[in-house]
Amino acid sequence: MSKDENKKEAVISLRNISKTFQGKKTINNVSLDIFPGETFVIMGCSGSGKSTLLRLMTGAIKPDEGSVFIKGKDISRVGTGELDEVKKSFGMLFQYSALLDSLTVEENVALPLREHAKLADEIVGIIVKLKLSLVGLRGYEKYYPSQISGGMRKRVGLARAIALDPDIVFYDEPTSGLDPVVGGVIDKLIKDLSLKLAITSVVVTHDMHSVFSIADRVAMVHKGELVQVGTSEEIKNSSNNYIQQFINGRPEGPIDFFKEDIGILEELNP
Amino acid sequence: MVSKIGSVVIEYFSWTRGVLALFYNILYWIFVGPFKGKAAGRQGIFAQMVFVGVRSVFIVFFVNIFTGIVLAMQSAYQLERMGAELYVASLVAVSLCRELGPVLTALIIAGRAGSAIAAELGTMKVTEQTEALDTMAINPVRFLAVPRFLALFVMLPALTVLGDVSGIFGGYIVGTGSLNINPDLYMQTTFKYLEIKDIYTGLIKSFVFAVIIALVCCYEGLNTKGGAEGVGRATTRSVVLSFILIILADCVVTAIFYFSKT
Repeated sequence: MSKDENKKEAVISLRNISKTFQGKKTINNVSLDIFPGETFVIMGCSGSGKSTLLRLMTGAIKPDEGSVFIKGKDISRVGTGELDEVKKSFGMLFQYSALLDSLTVEENVALPLREHAKLADEIVGIIVKLKLSLVGLRGYEKYYPSQISGGMRKRVGLARAIALDPDIVFYDEPTSGLDPVVGGVIDKLIKDLSLKLAITSVVVTHDMHSVFSIADRVAMVHKGELVQVGTSEEIKNSSNNYIQQFINGRPEGPIDFFKEDIGILEELNP
Repeated sequence: MVSKIGSVVIEYFSWTRGVLALFYNILYWIFVGPFKGKAAGRQGIFAQMVFVGVRSVFIVFFVNIFTGIVLAMQSAYQLERMGAELYVASLVAVSLCRELGPVLTALIIAGRAGSAIAAELGTMKVTEQTEALDTMAINPVRFLAVPRFLALFVMLPALTVLGDVSGIFGGYIVGTGSLNINPDLYMQTTFKYLEIKDIYTGLIKSFVFAVIIALVCCYEGLNTKGGAEGVGRATTRSVVLSFILIILADCVVTAIFYFSKT
């Protein structure tokens, strides 16, 4: 953490959080600060707990121990009403977009506005058009999610996430399952949004290309623990073996590919 | 063995508790939510009413009219021996309004609309759509379950009335066409023995069935786990459980009416 960041107050901060699923410790004593306006990337292998970390920040799951502060409010301890207020101040882009199938593109983007902002229909229509043009999808208002491509669905999801002009946007694997060009478009959108709208972005991904093109700071998660947090330069030049193995995608190294605890020999000779 | 029985019992209790919690939540969003400025969307309710009600009109009509026909023929077979064919009219009317109309209609709707509700909500659950709603601070129960509950609660009794009428019409076809009963006399006999309480006990049943279908199917849908297979399982479970609970509730409600001499 550099010195000038210390002066700013963290917009999201995790304090010693742990979470156990079915007896397995998915998150182990993680503390983390994310500052206003930065793009913070959480990277790690599948199953490392990075998505769980994101869900802890959005309040979708509650930590067993520790606290999650969003803008100073401990969302692991507030009631539903207050939690809803916090939720309105952030947007989230889901891995598979999670658009409502029964609604058109336009209605999907309008949904948070219709639910939370008491606005006239015309105003909602204008905001929807504005958000769709931000993600470059004007003209697709009347389409259903099943009629457009995966990359377009992601962009609609992004338009929906920013519909209420949030301060924070969470991205769950924004580029996974997309071709490199569309992935690049999404990366550019994330960068643009954080520059134009001063949004704090928290991105969970294992797409290395996207990590270094968008990140201000990066955290590497392995087996539910933070390996290192630093600027993208620091991470790129890190001497940590885990990070070097991950960045370069080497099969050999400290990160174990084999998940099972029982060796093959043990099973053959019981 | 003991632990297996124990786990089944625990599962049963947690299921019941989950369904009752959903019922409580739905009632909260119907009666308390609107005063906090959080009413369920009227648009969603109408869309569900069209789906549950209007689109089921034909099949309800179809099943009940043939049940009326069969009921008339079967009872005529017995009553003919005593020369009492005329009473086919009242027998068909009373048994349809009190019993068969509500139960058959509820079973049809559980199979047609209930399964669709479970499958739709289940798919929304496994594709993160309900989580997305939750993240947008939109309560999934208010947004998804309440419109479906209200639509069933209004439309099932309405469809039951339609079922009663079409069943009586089925009996009328047999009575006037095959048993040669005078049409006027048939209708007179129908209404002579059909009392208003026969109709409202049937309707009370259909309200109970509507609650059962809505709760079971919404609960199974919103608690789906495990991808496409999970959606299939939730759909099957919702239909099977609705059927069992409808028959069970029918027995209980009928017993209450019987012993309270209604």
